[in-house]
Amino acid sequence: MDRLTVPMSVASSPAVEQTASGSMTPSSAPLRPSTTAEVREIVGDAIVHKTPVRIVGRGTWLDAGRPVEATRQVSLDGLTGIVDYTPGDLTLTARAGTTLAEIARATAEHGQWLALAPWGSDDGSLGATAATATAGPMSGALGTPRDIVIGIEAVAGSGELVRGGGRVVKNVAGFDLTRLMVGAWGTLGILTEVSVRLRGLPEHEATLALALPNAPPALADVVARLRSAPIAPLGIEMVSGTLAARLGLGQQPVVIARLAGNADAVTAQRAALGAFGDVLDVADGVWTTLRAADPVEATVVRFSSPVARFPEVWLAADRLATAGEGHVHASLLRSSARVVLPHNEGAPTDAALELLRDASRDTRIFERLPRALWPVLAPTRAADRLSQGVRTAFDPHRLLNRGILGETRS
Amino acid sequence: MTQPADVADRLTEIVGPRGVLRRPGELVVYRSDGLPGYSKQPRLAVFPRTRDELVSVVRLLADQGVAFVPRGAGTGLSGGALADDVVLVGLNRLTRILSIDPVERLAVVEPGVVNVALTRAATPYGLHYAPDPSSQAACTIGGNVAENAGGPHCLKYGVTLNHVRAITAILPDGEIVRLGSAEGELDGYDLLGAFIGSEGCFGIAIDITVRLSPNPQAIRTLLADFTSVDAAARATSEIIASGIVPAALEMMDGATIRAVEASIYAAGYPVDAEAILLIELDGLEAGLEADVARIEAMCAAAGARTVRIARDDAERARLWQGRKKAFGAMGRVSSHLVVQDAVIPRTRLPDVLAIIREIAERQRITVCNVFHAGDGNLHPNIGYDANNPDEQARVHAAMREIMSACVAAGGTITGEHGIGLDKLDYMSLIFSEDSLAAMCRLRDVFDPDHRANPGKVVPVHSCREWHGAPKAAWTA
Repeated sequence: MDRLTVPMSVASSPAVEQTASGSMTPSSAPLRPSTTAEVREIVGDAIVHKTPVRIVGRGTWLDAGRPVEATRQVSLDGLTGIVDYTPGDLTLTARAGTTLAEIARATAEHGQWLALAPWGSDDGSLGATAATATAGPMSGALGTPRDIVIGIEAVAGSGELVRGGGRVVKNVAGFDLTRLMVGAWGTLGILTEVSVRLRGLPEHEATLALALPNAPPALADVVARLRSAPIAPLGIEMVSGTLAARLGLGQQPVVIARLAGNADAVTAQRAALGAFGDVLDVADGVWTTLRAADPVEATVVRFSSPVARFPEVWLAADRLATAGEGHVHASLLRSSARVVLPHNEGAPTDAALELLRDASRDTRIFERLPRALWPVLAPTRAADRLSQGVRTAFDPHRLLNRGILGETRS
Repeated sequence: MTQPADVADRLTEIVGPRGVLRRPGELVVYRSDGLPGYSKQPRLAVFPRTRDELVSVVRLLADQGVAFVPRGAGTGLSGGALADDVVLVGLNRLTRILSIDPVERLAVVEPGVVNVALTRAATPYGLHYAPDPSSQAACTIGGNVAENAGGPHCLKYGVTLNHVRAITAILPDGEIVRLGSAEGELDGYDLLGAFIGSEGCFGIAIDITVRLSPNPQAIRTLLADFTSVDAAARATSEIIASGIVPAALEMMDGATIRAVEASIYAAGYPVDAEAILLIELDGLEAGLEADVARIEAMCAAAGARTVRIARDDAERARLWQGRKKAFGAMGRVSSHLVVQDAVIPRTRLPDVLAIIREIAERQRITVCNVFHAGDGNLHPNIGYDANNPDEQARVHAAMREIMSACVAAGGTITGEHGIGLDKLDYMSLIFSEDSLAAMCRLRDVFDPDHRANPGKVVPVHSCREWHGAPKAAWTA
């Protein structure tokens, strides 16, 4: 394999802009629909003129960097508002551009919350969270968007207005369009409305930090014992020493655990965790800081593995983070490590790139990469016949976010 | 065109003479599934015993252009496993549990493994398979995948979809695909999510990798009894709104209670109650009593006469047996029973149950309610005599009215039983023609020739592209 070089020139036809991280140069001002009907008009127009569109939620998230071919950008920051919220049902429906912060405010008034908490901040939109299936530190216990989203409305690339699921928590009517749209990165349809299940806010909670051993055998032992300990954390995340320092938790790797429940439950879990060593009370805000800890310019990659291999995956991820002068954190519940490599002049360090090139390919997912590295490090996951067929079934003209899944350019 | 006899002979070469049924008399038993009122006779039935036989069977059917219907244990309640003059592929001989990994908490099973058999096999490791349909003693994991089956404990732990990590499937054209991953996360389209609940229209699962859940440290089972359905419904809404997530929250009405108590499944429910709630809390021992006390208080405030807590595992098992065998117990009430299925927003329980009562009275039918109150998943069960055309007509009219009422309340037409044959006509109540057309195209991705479970889930007239599609053999 050739040595990776950055940047790599990407050919583009003169009529089509190549848009990517930090270089979004749409040929005209973004379209900002405020109703589903306007979204339909935009897609209808794109079909007639065969003009590919790029879909953006509120534009607040760090760009994933995957090259998208588009002549127009559709921004959903005007398609906002909670459409339906009956607290007693613990479900909520909102337009796609609604911020997670607005939903958090509305639900907190009734002692409830939407347990998505994706990487990034609550300024991001519900639609983007669903479209990218972004799952944060609570997802091991409380589910990913694939578990939490119960219904969608979308304008498919075919121009059709489709609905999947509904506003109830259990639903098997028809083929599951909701599951397909969640995590499809907008390539099947532009989400216009999303319905989600909510949870009651815990009566009590506490976040504790526990120091971790560095030596591999001791680490494996602690991880195994934590997994069977009498605790039911909402989140339990290992963080590297570098990240711990940024979170104000010292210089050594630590585990932070978010315990919740009634007073008795929290007290007992605190004691159970205390059996592992000295624990430190940490302000709940650490989770918000952790979610937003990625630098603006960075490569982000997740390594997931069977539980038995978690310690070795953690150590490999830690080596990569060290080589890239970045940090790593990992969900013990999901057995998934997330490495953040800051960019210097648009790319991670050479040492980190070497490791990325050598790493096993089957268990890693890139969240963010320099544009030129996508085709090299992360060839498409949507090349199989079924995925191609699904794309064609919903977006026959390949108009929506063309290229974002790494699919072959048409 | 290929003659059925030729196909039968070729199938016999694959699975042996005891693996193929072809005489009408032998096939009678496969005319129905758990749903009464429909009778469809398969042309042939074939029962592969191994993965290789299954693959050969599906590939032969593909070569011959023959339509087929996959079938697990036939306990489905929507007519989804009925084969109308096509080949029935019985999967109930593929019963091997291929592996149980207590460290990863994963099991790999063949599609014919019975739901409860997996939990039994996982018990020595302190694990269980969480989705627990009432038919769990008979239904298969493959059937559960096809229907995205639920069960009482799905309130807290999620439905089949939330517990399946990966599937090796054979598509109707004979191609073998791997959906999902047991080793880690995948990106790309959620084809596994699309496959689960596709009611046998997208292919057949050859093996299924499922999550096993650790048994909870502690369990409390409560029985609250009420003098009105309305009071029990209000208690349910209160509990859900409180934010406590019970492991299960089930309701049974007076008619159901009395049927159960008169049967061999008598559970000790108070026969003079008009409704009971069966509420299970589980999790860590610490803090459980405090939640139990809150639930007791909420039930009392809603008007519960008594709230009883099961003293031991035996009493708990008895309380659950009454609930899980309620459908069987209703056999005492009438010759046929439609177990209906719909979901409503949980705040609408009191008024929708009142509407269902009104519909039952007006149509002069008997409706018993036994259902998953906690997630708003109603099972209005209608006992009737299918040999009485007048009564059957009234039952059908009532079912349509009930479905319409649930949809009007913001709900849906099925929460766990599927569309199958029975609910095709209701699909247009909740989905636009555009949505139905998109579903048809999705089916075409997996099965362009429309040979897998033809005629189910989406009404044929919604499938715009179907008019020019080749007609599969043996589908009239």
